[in-house]
Amino acid sequence: MATHTTPDPRTGSTPPSGPAKPRRGPSAKANRTWTWLMLPGTLWMAAFLLASLVLVATLALGTTDPLGNPRFGFNLDNITALGDPAYRSVMLRSLGYALLTVVICLAVAYPVAYAIALHGGRFKNFLIAAIVVPFFANYLVRMYGWSVVLSDDGPLLKALRSIGIADGDTRILQTGPGVIAGLVYGFVVFMIIPLYAALERMDVSLIEAGRDLYGGPLRTFFHVTLPATRQGAAAGCVLVFLPAMGDFVSAQLMGGPDQIMIGNLIQDKFFQGQNWPLGSALTMLMMAVLFLGMLGYLRRTRKDEKDEAEAAQ
Amino acid sequence: MSPEAPPSPSPLPAAAHPSPAPLSRRSLLRTGAAATAGLGLGLTASGCGFLPADASVYGDTEAPIDVKVDGDLVYFNWADFVDPAVFAGFEKEYGVKVIQSNFDSMEGMVAKLNAGNRYDIIFPSAKWAQRLTAGHRLRRIDHSKLRNAESVFGHYPYFADPWYDAGSHYTVPRIVYKTGIGWRKDKIGDDLGGSWDDLWSAKAKGRVFVLDDRDEVLGFAALKLGLDLATEDEGDLGRIAETLRSLRPHLRGFSSDSYNNLLNGNAVMTQAWSGDMAAMLAQAEDPSALGFEIAKEGSPVNSDCYAIPSDARHPGTAMLFIDYMLRPENVKKNIEYIGYPMPVGGTEDTYAALVEPFPECLVSADDLKDDLYFRNGTAKGEQARDAAWTHVKAG
Repeated sequence: MATHTTPDPRTGSTPPSGPAKPRRGPSAKANRTWTWLMLPGTLWMAAFLLASLVLVATLALGTTDPLGNPRFGFNLDNITALGDPAYRSVMLRSLGYALLTVVICLAVAYPVAYAIALHGGRFKNFLIAAIVVPFFANYLVRMYGWSVVLSDDGPLLKALRSIGIADGDTRILQTGPGVIAGLVYGFVVFMIIPLYAALERMDVSLIEAGRDLYGGPLRTFFHVTLPATRQGAAAGCVLVFLPAMGDFVSAQLMGGPDQIMIGNLIQDKFFQGQNWPLGSALTMLMMAVLFLGMLGYLRRTRKDEKDEAEAAQ
Repeated sequence: MSPEAPPSPSPLPAAAHPSPAPLSRRSLLRTGAAATAGLGLGLTASGCGFLPADASVYGDTEAPIDVKVDGDLVYFNWADFVDPAVFAGFEKEYGVKVIQSNFDSMEGMVAKLNAGNRYDIIFPSAKWAQRLTAGHRLRRIDHSKLRNAESVFGHYPYFADPWYDAGSHYTVPRIVYKTGIGWRKDKIGDDLGGSWDDLWSAKAKGRVFVLDDRDEVLGFAALKLGLDLATEDEGDLGRIAETLRSLRPHLRGFSSDSYNNLLNGNAVMTQAWSGDMAAMLAQAEDPSALGFEIAKEGSPVNSDCYAIPSDARHPGTAMLFIDYMLRPENVKKNIEYIGYPMPVGGTEDTYAALVEPFPECLVSADDLKDDLYFRNGTAKGEQARDAAWTHVKAG
């Protein structure tokens, strides 16, 4: 979904943007330049984000004609249909999977980002490239490959069987953990990059100061490193949570009948049932849930920013 | 995926592969296309037009077509559904080019038509042929101008006046197929019960797949319960959902990739299209390890046909192409290439030889019955079926 990965342009906290510059009163000329530079992005967002959102919202109120084409109208059936308990349980499952994915990604990505940022030395760029480049490959192809790795006779289960951890009935595919493994595999890089950026620009002398004050490694980590990289972690969480919530490929390839996610239902409505209006209504429901999450994130970063500004004074 | 049609793997086969090899060219193409379309989800809406299905927009669809070369053939079908040698022969004989593009679902095909793409020949399933005809989107096909039409309509009278196209004015049937149960003989034995009940068999518990297809899944449960295949009745649909709920403990997944699921052992039993089973015979290391049965409660049947869109630029070439495709030697080549039987008199032996281990794949004139087809429902009925399907899938 194109809508979610937008960094907050004001805080600039999502992309690695380097240390904040001291504020100076910009000249009128500079202001004009910035306005022009913003224009393409603004137009892009207006056309492909706002306009599509409006279109989806309008479609949600429509009906279909006999050829299955969406017809605009004002019809609340699709909205009331969302009251169906089946949607609620699938939505809750998706939320649960997405949140778990975020937690696991955080746990997996932090050590990786930490090691590269603070101990990568001259290999830093190479290591980051090694993580990012595979993600240039088509998402679907990667997921297909992953499903091969996890399949009943795949290398992972074979290895686990040979050391006695798994037996012949152990399965990863068509289970909840299988789907979450797929989601983590698919999106973990979105966690590594912002964490790496945050760790990279962190002032290392803070850690040394913590040690000088007799903080053990753990204490230093939780009292110094973690708070200093909180924004990077928050950005990573959002970047992982949003696509994980809307994903349907993982549940399709790695899940069974009990692992359907909201993305699968939406995909069904558009591609199988040819019920675009209901698919749109479901999409809006998902967007609403995601918007609430996003709101929480924005409030959080705003507060952080304020705190920083106060601390700087 | 179209609810009734896709005679082949779904866009996203829910399958695991012990090695990447079994992913056929056909399913890979379809997978990629679906992903491209699918990853946009809701936003795909912006890509398609909303033209009204109104005859006046599409001009006079009743004008007879001059059967002559009037340009290159713009062809639109499932990927890999015609023997390339047959294309080559057509290009050579008529001095034209075949410009191919492929769809991955009936919905996708119609969406492309609605977006204003112009094709000379398309291949809708029965249900979609009816919708397109009702929407005045097809040109009339005068059978008397096709030299080989007699081999279809003379031998399969069912198609002279099918439910989806009264008088067969707008379509010529191309392939027919049935839905049954495929299983691994080497894993659960040589014989099943010959009923849809077999999907509940203890021997296959936890290793059963059903197609990821609304009509097929609701349909087999309806047949098992003795209900109308395409029922729209809320009470019926409730019973169907209940029946399918009792199948869940046995079920490993919804997937239209029966082909890979059976071959790589993720499934020991799966609902399957007859054409996929025929394709497996050619692909399996040991075909005798596979079985295919048609349930005694009945098997859904379906057919795809040739049709010429009303805005086709080269309808004359399209007519020549249909006629060329109906020549017995070309029918035989295509049957062997795609594994589906075609309702063309004189080609039955070719197909019978191809599927000799699975005679259940054969579709005879007796199998073709109106009430074994998935039909178009009312708007309300479709919604009710949709809701039932959501319950079945979401559990």
